[in-house]
Amino acid sequence: MRDNSILRCWRALLGVLAGFFGVRSEAAREQDFKEGRALHFVVIGLLMAAGFVIFVIFLVRWALSLSGV
Amino acid sequence: MGTIRTIRTIISGLSLVLLPFTARAEWTVNLSPGVTEVSRSVYDLHMTIFWICVAIGCVVFGVMFWSIFHHRKSKGAKAHHFHEHTLVEIAWTLVPLGILVAMAVPATATLVKMYDPSEADLDIQITGYQWKWRYTYLDKDLDFFSNLATPREQIGNEEAKGDNYLLEVDRHLVLPTDTKIRLLLTANDVIHSWWVPALAVKKDAIPGFINEAWTRIDEPGIYRGQCAELCGQDHGFMPIVVEAVPPEQFQQWLAQVKAEKQAEAAAAEKSWTLDELMTQGEQVYLRACAACHQPTGTGVPPAFPALKGSPVALGDVGAHIDIVLNGRPGTAMQAFRDQLSATELAAVITYERNAWGNSTGEAVAPSQITRILEGNAETAGEGAQ
Repeated sequence: MRDNSILRCWRALLGVLAGFFGVRSEAAREQDFKEGRALHFVVIGLLMAAGFVIFVIFLVRWALSLSGV
Repeated sequence: MGTIRTIRTIISGLSLVLLPFTARAEWTVNLSPGVTEVSRSVYDLHMTIFWICVAIGCVVFGVMFWSIFHHRKSKGAKAHHFHEHTLVEIAWTLVPLGILVAMAVPATATLVKMYDPSEADLDIQITGYQWKWRYTYLDKDLDFFSNLATPREQIGNEEAKGDNYLLEVDRHLVLPTDTKIRLLLTANDVIHSWWVPALAVKKDAIPGFINEAWTRIDEPGIYRGQCAELCGQDHGFMPIVVEAVPPEQFQQWLAQVKAEKQAEAAAAEKSWTLDELMTQGEQVYLRACAACHQPTGTGVPPAFPALKGSPVALGDVGAHIDIVLNGRPGTAMQAFRDQLSATELAAVITYERNAWGNSTGEAVAPSQITRILEGNAETAGEGAQ
């Protein structure tokens, strides 16, 4: 039971990653809709969006520090 | 025979297309490389990205045209139906991502350079007005307006247009070369934008805001620009002329301008005849007033009232002086007290009271204006009400 929910979260993570990238095969998409839980996708999606914003902030800081500002 | 003729036609057509490339030095369609380090790096960036786009265009259209030709229906090609192809989709996502990152690296480097106005040796405040620029050399006690100098006759197609039509001003923004100059941009009325392509500076001038830009000009010369933000009727009539001179010459120019300013103050104290005031007044009027009130004094009612036969120009001289000096709030009439010298103000008011059939016969003395300006400066608090 516990293993199953970890597996589900892992699959949701992959699904969200694929969504960020913009490519997902039809088979994997169907499996997401059949077996996945909406809540997992929403929570992981929000976390990864926040993570992306933080990544961009650090990217800009790094670029500015490289150019000596 | 037919084939040879076709090939000949294609070659002559191609040579017509390629001809401009041989004369690229005189070709002014492209971005200017400019005369500053930043402008050159903007130009290089522009060319890099341009060639990347050319390469992408060649590959994409090449593959497309080849496919159309090679898989044409007459050769019995059959369309292959498939819904998705994950590998191809990943490729067409990763390749543009790579290209964008490759473009972002030099673009970021140029932007960072552009946005660093620190450690400047000279500060200049640039203020946009409808429709002229004001240049204030901070800490140099120098401040002047720069007005369009193209004659109205050229604009009205009554005379042949000059070489620098609509790109010439009465007073150039004189700047030293090899000096880091910080430009502080703002505006007095509406949003303007100060744009000089050769310096790669294009920055909005916004009322209540101060935007920063900077430049370091390598080569002496005259560089022209325009307002780049639609700001009203005469948006196209407020050009920018930057005159870059070597630093020693810049110091000489500063001294010369200060001497001229003192001479002008002295001239305001001498007594002027009506004729002298009228002659100068006409010049000032055409430069500073005619855009709205028209060279004939008839204005464009109701926005810009006529001065010919107007109660202001024929009535109490004190009220007339007050409107010219302080403007009329809520209308397009600006305050000219900072824009014109005492002599110019006296001359233009005299002109308005005696031109186009207005015949009050009154002359306003420059010294009279000087006293009003000095008096108002002391009671500026009251005057603001």
